[in-house]
Amino acid sequence: MCDILKIENLCVCAENKELLHDININIARGETHVLMGHNGAGKSTLGCTIMGSPEYKITGGRIFFNGEDITNESADKRARRGIFLSFQNPVEIPGVTLSEFLRNALEQISGKRQKLWEFKKQLNTAMEVLDMDKSYADRELNVGFSGGEKKKAEILQLLMLKPKLAILDETDSGLDVDAVKTVSKGIEEYRKETGGTLLVITHNTKILESLTVDKTHILSNGRNAKNGGGELAFDVLENGFGEVFV
Amino acid sequence: MSEKTQIADIDRSLYDFRFEEDEQDRLSSGITPEIISEISHEKNDPDWMRKFRQHCLKVYNKMEMVKWGAPIDGLDINNIVTYIRPKSRMNTDWENVPESVKETFERLGIPKAERESLAGVGAQYDSELVYHNVRSEVARSGVVYTDLESAMHDERYAEIIKSHFMKLVPPTDHKFAALHGAVWSGGSFVYVPKNVNLEIPLQSYFRLNAKGAGQFEHTLIILEENSSLHFIEGCSAPKYYEAGLHAGCVELFVGKCAKLRYSTIENWSKNMYNLNTKRALVEDGGKIEWVSGSFGSHVSYLYPMSILNGAGASAEFTGITFAGEGQNLDTGAKIVHNAPNTSSYINTKSISKSGGISTFRSSVIINQNAVDSKSSVNCESLMLDKISRSDTIPAIDIKTDKCDVGHEAKIGRISDEAIFYLTSRGLSEEEAKAMIVRGFADNVSKELPLEYAVEMNNLISLEINSNVG
Amino acid sequence: MKTTKLNILPIPTFSHLGVNFTDRRIENAIYDNITLQSGSTDITKNAQCTLTAENGEHKSVLQYVRADNAVLIDTSVKVENGAVAVLVQIFDTTEPIVSKLNVDIAENAHFELVQLYIGGRDTVSEIKAELSGRHSGFVSDIAYKLDNNDKLDLNLIADHFGKNSMSKITVGGVMSENADKIFKGTINFKCSASGAKGTENEDVLLIGEKVRSRTVPVILCSEEDVEGSHGATAGRIDNAKIFYMRSRGFSDERIMQILAQAKISRVIEKINDPQTKHRVYDSLGWCDIYE
Repeated sequence: MCDILKIENLCVCAENKELLHDININIARGETHVLMGHNGAGKSTLGCTIMGSPEYKITGGRIFFNGEDITNESADKRARRGIFLSFQNPVEIPGVTLSEFLRNALEQISGKRQKLWEFKKQLNTAMEVLDMDKSYADRELNVGFSGGEKKKAEILQLLMLKPKLAILDETDSGLDVDAVKTVSKGIEEYRKETGGTLLVITHNTKILESLTVDKTHILSNGRNAKNGGGELAFDVLENGFGEVFV
Repeated sequence: MSEKTQIADIDRSLYDFRFEEDEQDRLSSGITPEIISEISHEKNDPDWMRKFRQHCLKVYNKMEMVKWGAPIDGLDINNIVTYIRPKSRMNTDWENVPESVKETFERLGIPKAERESLAGVGAQYDSELVYHNVRSEVARSGVVYTDLESAMHDERYAEIIKSHFMKLVPPTDHKFAALHGAVWSGGSFVYVPKNVNLEIPLQSYFRLNAKGAGQFEHTLIILEENSSLHFIEGCSAPKYYEAGLHAGCVELFVGKCAKLRYSTIENWSKNMYNLNTKRALVEDGGKIEWVSGSFGSHVSYLYPMSILNGAGASAEFTGITFAGEGQNLDTGAKIVHNAPNTSSYINTKSISKSGGISTFRSSVIINQNAVDSKSSVNCESLMLDKISRSDTIPAIDIKTDKCDVGHEAKIGRISDEAIFYLTSRGLSEEEAKAMIVRGFADNVSKELPLEYAVEMNNLISLEINSNVG
Repeated sequence: MKTTKLNILPIPTFSHLGVNFTDRRIENAIYDNITLQSGSTDITKNAQCTLTAENGEHKSVLQYVRADNAVLIDTSVKVENGAVAVLVQIFDTTEPIVSKLNVDIAENAHFELVQLYIGGRDTVSEIKAELSGRHSGFVSDIAYKLDNNDKLDLNLIADHFGKNSMSKITVGGVMSENADKIFKGTINFKCSASGAKGTENEDVLLIGEKVRSRTVPVILCSEEDVEGSHGATAGRIDNAKIFYMRSRGFSDERIMQILAQAKISRVIEKINDPQTKHRVYDSLGWCDIYE
């Protein structure tokens, strides 16, 4: 079976500092992988690099999506291929409402005009899954949203855009117990509806409980320190990284 | 007034004392080519400087007065004696400084400051250097710190002075720059060689002390690649009753990756017209930091300018202005972004009290080649009563889209709640006000060396309570 | 021919910036006298307009300036005690125009100004609002979209005389190509204006390396008991925002378009008349977002 994502000997630099060195990760379609490591190990860098952030320069290696080389593609092209990144710190877009933004994004990705009525219906359904107040649809995207609201808005976009591969960058961090549950529900819904592939960056078990984790990758100092099965993630979350690096 | 106020532990009169005039030759008022020749003769100017002075006089006579800013009608330039020399000649030994001059400096704390931590003192009595000493440590590091006039005659520095003098602030810049070029006298020359980082700050103290005297000192500082320096300029002048003029000029050349911090507390007596010009040229990766406190003078025009001429150059300006009774202080900063990746930060506070007028004025220019540049301007004004005035006039001129520019300003008064809170803890209303204003001025005081910060805080307390004490 | 100084900055600053005033030739002109009534008025010739909202009255007026020849528009507004007046001015012309707006706002009166500049080869616009009454209010929302060789010189002065008077000035726009804009905004607290509050904000989006944007946000203050603030931001779209939007599938072109629209539609949405709204979107070439 063809891997949906294939990362080959990837090296990444920012401001003349090497942040990732010789990373190799393969993710098969429909699998759920967990990416772990200490703060500053390079997890977010890897997530952003897969999405195509211009902040990070690829100095070596390649990234394949569905067998095609996307190493030099811009983020919007990757999004249209079906890659999604749930941002750790979602950006505020004043003057553009959440619903306007989503409808436009859907049009960009699908290349099709979105009928207002159908779009509204879909949006309402998705917002219900996430216990989001309807009024959020008409609020400016992320402007004045609390941390939790921003994360919910990211998952809302995940549900609406239905990507093939979703990278969740600490979507559960800074959330209270109930909010983590809601966000997990959204992720479950995404899996159920699309059978999409997941790469989850996290420090918590909570968000993983409802998921079947297939593989775990641990980064340390920008290197692939260890790869293992799903149980490795739970092992680390229980016992810390100490054991792993011995 | 010699009464002490509750908080103050220094007295305003310390700064407004004046001794008997002590000068032997005083040139007649008014400026003619003959006067300029006399100055040149007195100074034994090199040939190029003689010509330059005459050229500046011509420019001066041709130029118009500035058409904006605080009114300067009260200034009669022909009545200001531009050149006063004390009997004393250059002294390298403290013992030889005349007693009256010594006493003046003693009260200003110069030798003490030197003993404690300061590297050298270029103290200017009236228009001439009377005391100048560079601690051997500074000299050993290869740093040149001397008076500009004699440095012109030193073959080691003659060329570099000639190629830099008034190149950054040309006489055509404005009328008072031209006047300065024609009559300048005294001032410092600092040269920091490549890779030299001077840890201890260099300090200069100068003052006016004669009736109708003008002060036209010139400061020229050159930092070579990868060097660093902190220069402190302190001004304080006694009170007298005829219009006084200060039209100094500061030219700072900051080389590649060099870093210069230039700190000033200006505390001219309250009949002075302070029309000072300060400018820095910063090369690739270099940094200029201005720390500026403006307290005294009747009228001030002061806008230190930073020209960011090399990629990655940066400028930081931190300033405070305190305008009290009879004062019109027009201050601010100018920045020109003239290379990629340059950045600038302006952060100022101004306080108006007892009918004083303070104006913050700035200009930030982002040229088309200054791609990926950043600039942020922040100014806050505090009005302490209804009879004062505070104006904020910033300007931003952007010529490229590849930049991020932000500006913020606020104006207001001390909140009644804050005063109530502090008085409820036992402070008098005046103490409370002084404390709040000192806090307001914190951005500047924390950038100053300790002894200066203390002096500035005392000044603030005195100014706040001057009507109360 | 003699020129007239227009758009004078209340307190001049460094002359090399070229913001202290602007010179224009103004010939003796024949004016149409127009008394503005509620609803929309098209203006295509020199016009002297008056608008009065009498005691307690509520008036909402729209001027659509579509000039074929050089035009002078002189508008006087009087908002009497307790009245509310809303004036929408749309400048949709490529010809040079000079617009002057003088407003007097009395006690407890409220004036709301909405201005939109769609291009304009050479527009000089001055707004002088006198908040003369106690508790008078002035809210202005101004947007501009400038490209090609568009030129706009905008001078807004809010004079606070009345106690507890309030002003709020919001300006935003998008500039591209060779567009050249000067915005001067002055909040002037006179010494009678205790308790007054004034805020001013400009936010410009710059697209293209040849634009020129000058901003002079002035606060003049001779009263202690006031609160004044101004803010200005200018520049391109920040990289984090671009990456975020790209990651949701937006092309760079579309990102610029959406964010430009966001800056301006804020003001368009304040137009109550659907027909005029449509006309504006048409003129901007943004019919697709209006359906």
